[in-house]
Amino acid sequence: MNTALAGVVAYLALGVLGFLFRPRWLSSALAILAGAVSLALWAPGFSEMTLGPSSWGIAVVGDELARGFWALALFLHVAVAWHERARLGAFQPLLTLLTGTALAAVISIDLFNLYVAMELAALLSFLLISYEAKTKAVWATLQYLLLAAVGMILYLLGVGLVYGKLGTLSLSQIRALAPGLSDPTVAIGVGLLVAGASVKSGLFLFGLWLPPAHGYAPTGVSAVLSGLVVKLGVVALARLAVAFPLGDVLLALGVVTGFGGIIYALWERDLKVFLAFSTVSQLGYILIGFGIGGGAAQGAILYAVAHGLFKALLFLAAGQAIEEASERHIAKLKGKLAWPSALGLAVGTWAIVGLPPLAGFAGKETLSLAVPAPVGWILTALSFGTAAAFAKLLPLFWPGQGRGKIGGLALLACGVIGLGLLGVVSLPGLVSLTAWGKALLVAAMGYLFYFVFRRFQPALPRPSLDRAITTALVSSLGLIAGFLFTR
Amino acid sequence: MEGLSAFVLAIILVGLGLWTLIERRNVIWKLLGLNVASGGAILFLVAVAYRPQARPALLGLGPGPTADPLPQALVLTAIVIHFATLALALAYVIFLTEHRHTQDIHKLEREEE
Amino acid sequence: MKWVARTAILALLSLVAVGTRHLFPRPDVAPWQEPTAQYGAENAVAAIVLGARLWDTLLEVLVYALAIAGVKMALGGLGRARPLPPVPETPLLRRSADILLGPIVILSLYIAASGHLGPGGGFPAGAILGSGLLLLALAKGVERLSQELHEATWERSEYGAIAALLALGGAFLCLGFPGSSFLVSANLLITMEVAIGAWVVLHYFARARGEV
Repeated sequence: MNTALAGVVAYLALGVLGFLFRPRWLSSALAILAGAVSLALWAPGFSEMTLGPSSWGIAVVGDELARGFWALALFLHVAVAWHERARLGAFQPLLTLLTGTALAAVISIDLFNLYVAMELAALLSFLLISYEAKTKAVWATLQYLLLAAVGMILYLLGVGLVYGKLGTLSLSQIRALAPGLSDPTVAIGVGLLVAGASVKSGLFLFGLWLPPAHGYAPTGVSAVLSGLVVKLGVVALARLAVAFPLGDVLLALGVVTGFGGIIYALWERDLKVFLAFSTVSQLGYILIGFGIGGGAAQGAILYAVAHGLFKALLFLAAGQAIEEASERHIAKLKGKLAWPSALGLAVGTWAIVGLPPLAGFAGKETLSLAVPAPVGWILTALSFGTAAAFAKLLPLFWPGQGRGKIGGLALLACGVIGLGLLGVVSLPGLVSLTAWGKALLVAAMGYLFYFVFRRFQPALPRPSLDRAITTALVSSLGLIAGFLFTR
Repeated sequence: MEGLSAFVLAIILVGLGLWTLIERRNVIWKLLGLNVASGGAILFLVAVAYRPQARPALLGLGPGPTADPLPQALVLTAIVIHFATLALALAYVIFLTEHRHTQDIHKLEREEE
Repeated sequence: MKWVARTAILALLSLVAVGTRHLFPRPDVAPWQEPTAQYGAENAVAAIVLGARLWDTLLEVLVYALAIAGVKMALGGLGRARPLPPVPETPLLRRSADILLGPIVILSLYIAASGHLGPGGGFPAGAILGSGLLLLALAKGVERLSQELHEATWERSEYGAIAALLALGGAFLCLGFPGSSFLVSANLLITMEVAIGAWVVLHYFARARGEV
């Protein structure tokens, strides 16, 4: 435990020192080194324990979830810091601090410590999204800020109710109490906690701040936000699900957010906003996995890591393409991409639609092998929707003129391919003709669906700020009422 | 049921804050509403700490019922976080006012399209 | 559209009220005397904030410092460094600042240094010191005060203070707790950080507005 804590503290302290000393890359490099050493030392894991006296202290755990997210965070930090190495100013220290916060958040199993870590991650996201001081990005940040504050008010009320009833903040102690949801106070409190974390992690209907914020953020920032930061809220939900019986709730949230994100992604024309909607839908897979639990939770962790890699790759490639062509519309980008960004988009797309043997295939297949049959059909439908949505990127894969920069794209592409191959070789049941055939068939049907229905353009309601606040409040209400009346 | 009034006040404050947040179109008003609402959430935690006839949890005060120190410590953290977020939000509002010359969310959204 | 949100707020809060109703009767407080004494404090809140839940506090200090950095980033690039009009010398403000500044500084240092014994601590002390700076700024003008204070140096030392706090706190989290000397030094570091941060926010807001 001490090595993990020392790693996080070193990460944060080096991030702060990055504001003071030049060269800026030095503190980032030292932080990554410290984090990697710390991960290597605690990688066997440590069991739940409390810092400080058991009545007040903060409980931490080093389990499989924490390990997976530490590896993902460090890898993404390396790739994005390398890709954005030309950025001066506060960018690198902020990135280091954001990664350090993620490291802190995933080992925590304390209700209030999770709150503080999520707030810090959100604050760093605000700074990074508005980093280039463009009006659209600042407006997106302000929307994010308002919605996140609403979420955190709900979360704090939940902390008050749960602590007032159970007398502890540590999720391991709460699990030992096994409160269940029969008590109305606990049911409402947990409902508020889940609603707050859902708003924070940008689930569909709860957190409609996500598409503009991720869409208008600077290139490298979108990659880290979509790859890592939104999943901190999902990690908080998974931690809550260990202490309270939340399996069905997470499953329902996963289905809603999965299909909601897909529907918007299908008809979105702005490249980066499209990728952001696809992030919303992919959170659904992870939530479904955590909701089922057991082997599916492991699949969810694998899929979260894989999604972090290929979504970061997609965002880096997309951001670079947008910078090269000075154009955000998918249709108008055709033929204007240099080969590295075109190839990056291609590899990322193949991974996200689940073509073997890339990382997305390993994650999706592990997940669907571990879930019961009806949920398996939901996952297949989501994969089909993803393939249909991503079919419109197909014309972008043929590169145009120009040399383009490679940077972190190569690193991430290697990560996507390497994790996929490793997963296919080492995990059971992935080298089978049915699995590969099914993945190819779903992808092909998705593409076919797109080419049949591409002229069809429904007018979906745009999520404005007031609407986003309203949907967040209404869906929180629905969630809590559901908790109260189905307990 | 002693100590209920603080809970009631806290919930009313959250309600007033959220109500302002959805009613007003001006971003500054929205932020004010949010601030009132987070003040209510903080007061809610203080109310959780309350015990009838309690004293503050200081060692020198002798025996007797005391308030719960843990929520009070959480409140300290939550106040600082909300202050920091509000300062940042106001800075963004100043930035947007400089560049877009409006604080009305409908105009901010319309010009964006 | 709005009535949906209104109804949702009312329903949400009545549900919270239902939950609150079932919180009663309140249970007794868990024993806090022994762990408080273990941390070398008399104030249980100080023992929690700087001892048992030091990890939260470190992250919270980072939140504060980064919000200040964010204000600087958002307002620093506004690109209209128009000079502030000189503040007229008002004898009333000037005198009251002269008289009050000393007590304010002493009070804030006292509250910081005795925060582990009674009500107080680094955050209120820093806020008090920051309000003293606000008084001085009203009397002297923001820009002039900023030059006299050597603001750039202080800003750098703010980051230094946070890094020191993180290093100290991290060492104590991993190696064990040394007692009240840490509580005092942490409170003083937090005071410094909060006061500098408050000053920086004041300075940038005043500059964006054009006057105090």
